[in-house]
Amino acid sequence: MSHEQMSGASMSQGATLSARLKMLSRLHKIEAKRGVIDIVSNPVSNFMTILVIAIALALPTGLQILLETGKTLSESWDGASRISLYLQSDVTESRLTEIAARVSETSGVDSVDTISQEQALEDFKERSGFAEAIDQLDSNPLPPVLVVQPKPTHTSPQASEELLAEFNTIREVELAQLDLDWVRKLYALIQLAEKAASALGIALALAVLLIVGNTIRLSVQNRREEIEVVKLVGATDAFIRRPFLYTGLWYGLFAGVTCWVIVTFSLYWLKDPVANLAGLYQSQFQIQGLSIGQSLKLIGISCGLGLLGSWLSVGRHIRQIEPH
Amino acid sequence: MIEFAEVSKRYPNGQEALKKVSFEIADGEMAFLTGHSGAGKSTLLKLICLMERATSGQVVVNNKNLNRTSRRKIPSVRRNIGMIFQDHRLLFDRSVFDNVALPLMIAGYPHREIGRRVRASLDKVGLLSKEKYSPIMLSGGEQQRVGIARAVVNKPPLLLADEPTGNLDPELSAEIMHLFEQFNQVGVSLLIASHDLSLIAQMHYRTLVMKEGRLVQDQVDTITSSEEGSDES
Repeated sequence: MSHEQMSGASMSQGATLSARLKMLSRLHKIEAKRGVIDIVSNPVSNFMTILVIAIALALPTGLQILLETGKTLSESWDGASRISLYLQSDVTESRLTEIAARVSETSGVDSVDTISQEQALEDFKERSGFAEAIDQLDSNPLPPVLVVQPKPTHTSPQASEELLAEFNTIREVELAQLDLDWVRKLYALIQLAEKAASALGIALALAVLLIVGNTIRLSVQNRREEIEVVKLVGATDAFIRRPFLYTGLWYGLFAGVTCWVIVTFSLYWLKDPVANLAGLYQSQFQIQGLSIGQSLKLIGISCGLGLLGSWLSVGRHIRQIEPH
Repeated sequence: MIEFAEVSKRYPNGQEALKKVSFEIADGEMAFLTGHSGAGKSTLLKLICLMERATSGQVVVNNKNLNRTSRRKIPSVRRNIGMIFQDHRLLFDRSVFDNVALPLMIAGYPHREIGRRVRASLDKVGLLSKEKYSPIMLSGGEQQRVGIARAVVNKPPLLLADEPTGNLDPELSAEIMHLFEQFNQVGVSLLIASHDLSLIAQMHYRTLVMKEGRLVQDQVDTITSSEEGSDES
């Protein structure tokens, strides 16, 4: 299309659709760049804003990561649902076999291991290091034990309770006990903490919206004169809104990346103490950093909050500015 | 091009800025609007570009009834009107070129077309060599010409000027008026608010005289200062 055809009266109404789209993408590029320049040109106050957003996001993110690792830890602990049945010491060998058979037939039981009194004593001697002292004993003080592994379908707290109750009805059973009751309690605690973390996350997300919204409001007020002028030469609200939306998006992006750095550094910092702690429990457990998926999710959420906060703020405040 | 029928404007504070003003400006006509400050000149111009809305009466611009123009349609009305202000209203954080390009960017013109039109417009006002300058580096007269280049860059059929020579010396004022005449010669309609009666008198154009919100005189050729005190018709 020649310049002659494009100019003239028809151009006063605008350009062709493809030319408009091209110009629109160009405008987006210009405004995206302008947004970055705006942020970089006022580094101190903008860095503070970004840091505040990043910290607000880091808190729930870090908590979430810790809780997730805690959860996988307690879930992976198979022993959590194992039940030990301590029998009376005077149970005969044959009676022991009978009881073991009865227990293994109970619905929900996967397998039963029998530990006889002699076996228990041997184990204890080996592990405790009191072998000589134990040899001095007249009789074996240890009871025979049945170790019951429930089926995976019967590991919930309720099912465990039912099994325990059933085993307690056997006359020879002195004590029926969940092996790692505390892991279950930890699991329940983590579930509770997760709820609390979600609530905290929502509250802090709202805070981020308010921070971005307020920053954008100030930015709109600072550019009041410019907004009046572009309105006078025929700018639509969408045109005026765009650079502010970009600024919000950049706040979100920079804050997301900063948050990632904070969380990654904090987890790294926790790594050694956690490995030490895990070592005390004979575990190879280690804290993992943010995965790629989690990192992208974090930055995505951060950008989304920046954009949304800016969107909520800018529409209202642009409307209030009219040229006079 | 512009049609006012019994237009009144009352501001929320009770001030009656316009009282039943009626007049018409034809396509391609150039006219002056004069009167003391506070007579309603600025309000009249603001009604044409929808910076204010009439309390009663009809305002029709470019065959569009502005009373029925929704808020969303205001930008499209303004894109067909070039506005020139006494205080220029330039953006000092960008270059002369970018200031003049603003209306084209907003309307979504292609990049090369923008460059071509901006330079043509700057050439017209004699500032082509200063496109990269910041407006702050220019004199008052030059800034006003940048404002004019911005107003005409997308070739609107109507130009409104509010005291365009208010801060300029007579020589520069005459230069600006000469520019306006040139636009008028290629078919642009102009309405120029000014209280510079001696300048208007030299120009021999239709003159609308306002007083206390009323249109008191509509003279086709020129006026002399004695008419300022004339009775309301």
